[in-house]
Amino acid sequence: MTEPPQTAEPTAPEPEAAPAPAADGRASQTPAAVRRRAVLAGAAVSVLLILAIVLGSRLLRDFDSALLPYAVATVFLAFGVAYRYTVWISAPGARRLFRQGWRSFFSADNFRKAPTALPKMIATYLGFQKFLGARSHARWAAHQLLFWGCILAALITFPLTWGWFTFTSSTGDGPGYEMRIWGFKVLGFDSLNILGWLMFHGLDIAAVLVIAGASYFLWRRMKDRAAITGQRFAYDLIPLIALIVISVTGLLLTFSSIFLHGGGYEFLAILHMVSVVFTLIYIPFGKFFHIVQRPAAVGMQLFKYTSRRKDEELQTCRRCHEPIDTPDYVENLRGTMKDLKLDFDEWAEYCPRCKRVLRGNAYLTHVKKGFK
Amino acid sequence: MMGRTIFIDPGRCIGCQACVSACRECDSHRGKSMIHLDYTDEGHSVASLPTVCMHCEDPVAPCAEVCPADAILVTADGVVQQADTTRCIGCANCVNACPFGVPKIDLQAKLQMKCNLCYDRTAYGLAPMCATVCPTGALFYGTLDELRAERPGVQVADSFTFGDVVVQTGVAMVVPADKVQWPVPGGLPVVEINGVDVSGANPNKGGGGRGEGVR
Repeated sequence: MTEPPQTAEPTAPEPEAAPAPAADGRASQTPAAVRRRAVLAGAAVSVLLILAIVLGSRLLRDFDSALLPYAVATVFLAFGVAYRYTVWISAPGARRLFRQGWRSFFSADNFRKAPTALPKMIATYLGFQKFLGARSHARWAAHQLLFWGCILAALITFPLTWGWFTFTSSTGDGPGYEMRIWGFKVLGFDSLNILGWLMFHGLDIAAVLVIAGASYFLWRRMKDRAAITGQRFAYDLIPLIALIVISVTGLLLTFSSIFLHGGGYEFLAILHMVSVVFTLIYIPFGKFFHIVQRPAAVGMQLFKYTSRRKDEELQTCRRCHEPIDTPDYVENLRGTMKDLKLDFDEWAEYCPRCKRVLRGNAYLTHVKKGFK
Repeated sequence: MMGRTIFIDPGRCIGCQACVSACRECDSHRGKSMIHLDYTDEGHSVASLPTVCMHCEDPVAPCAEVCPADAILVTADGVVQQADTTRCIGCANCVNACPFGVPKIDLQAKLQMKCNLCYDRTAYGLAPMCATVCPTGALFYGTLDELRAERPGVQVADSFTFGDVVVQTGVAMVVPADKVQWPVPGGLPVVEINGVDVSGANPNKGGGGRGEGVR
């Protein structure tokens, strides 16, 4: 597990909901039922991926057996991600927002009225990560380097290891190459021109981007006292170290083939492969799972956006009338609180300040009159 | 109740805002103050109430329970940490579910922030910034024994009522010695809003929670 033993995640369904049927009273929410569903989801996704690999590589004709360990790791990755995703969205808070997010997504009315809302949110939240800029410009820049580096690397390597992409030359050793996807020719290029260079050095470019971004974050984790507070080696440092190891060993492969005539290539290839395989298998458990979780921000925002459009008016605090959020959101939160047996959900209709003031008044009235 | 914690005595608070300023110096949220200082009956009374995170123990951290992104971790020492920057999606569930009105949110940054008991300091045995600077002892950091050594006979309460729910917390409040037997009213059900009596809306639940019967 990623979380070190000294921490606990109270949102996990196990601790509170333990033996009884879960908060909303449905047997489908017991920890055992959730685990069963998660195993099924994981198995289904893994089988689908294996089928896609077999079919996409034209019944393994295009499958590169040297890349087998990578392909196997992606199957484990698929299982782990599907398993944890299922467990994650089974907890009350996530389940309700997940449903509301997809409901807003599939709303034809919503699409008709604001067709650009979703693409815009995806671009700003998931692509350009504007919210990170509001936290810190430097972190935004470093994260963009990491993000685009990883995206580029994933787009190149995943299809390659699955045997979906092939690069072949009719003349044996080039310079004319053909790129095929699922056996269909999509591109012919000369490996000696700019396009060819870019095609064959995409991973080197990705590695440079990732090393720059990850190094900044590693430096920050050593120096920035906010980052160091509560920092955990397995959760905060291992992912950065893993990315740097992958990128450096990857670049060394290129170095070996260009400058060492392939010297040490086999050893480096194994080192690179081991670091990639471990990282892929680690993704569902640790910090990297935020890659899978972050789209929830878009679902949440789309839900709020849709309910805002519908109601126009925000729900206001029952005492001071300051806006709280959309009525649908407040109702959704109250439902979540009821699911969790937090039966003070009525409190959600008061703003945080009024809650404090009312508590202060209750203390004044009932506990310590001298406080006045 | 946790061993070493904050004890809040609103009766001692003079509303000087030293805690608010000191909180900004905390390394884990430098420049932003996470403590709340509210003047509960402004215009009529000088009473003020400092609010830090109460680090709820039972039910454990409602903020973390309602979080859809598993962003709020509770460390083994009972400290409810502020949202993990990697995971927080800025939905504000925690802000509106917290019975004490503690978490803050930056909607642009999509990030919740809250008092984490100055984890950068308390993890190393230092007192939180607010308790360090409080001139009147309204915020005291230490064990109950240490508090009693300074204030003989002092009584504290670590449970609060919100309607029918009793929330037990890691941070405690000083209460008069004769009131220690019952949980402190948390303000819900609401009996009065802006001078208007609304207790009729809750005919079965007038007053300040369980304490009502005692009084």
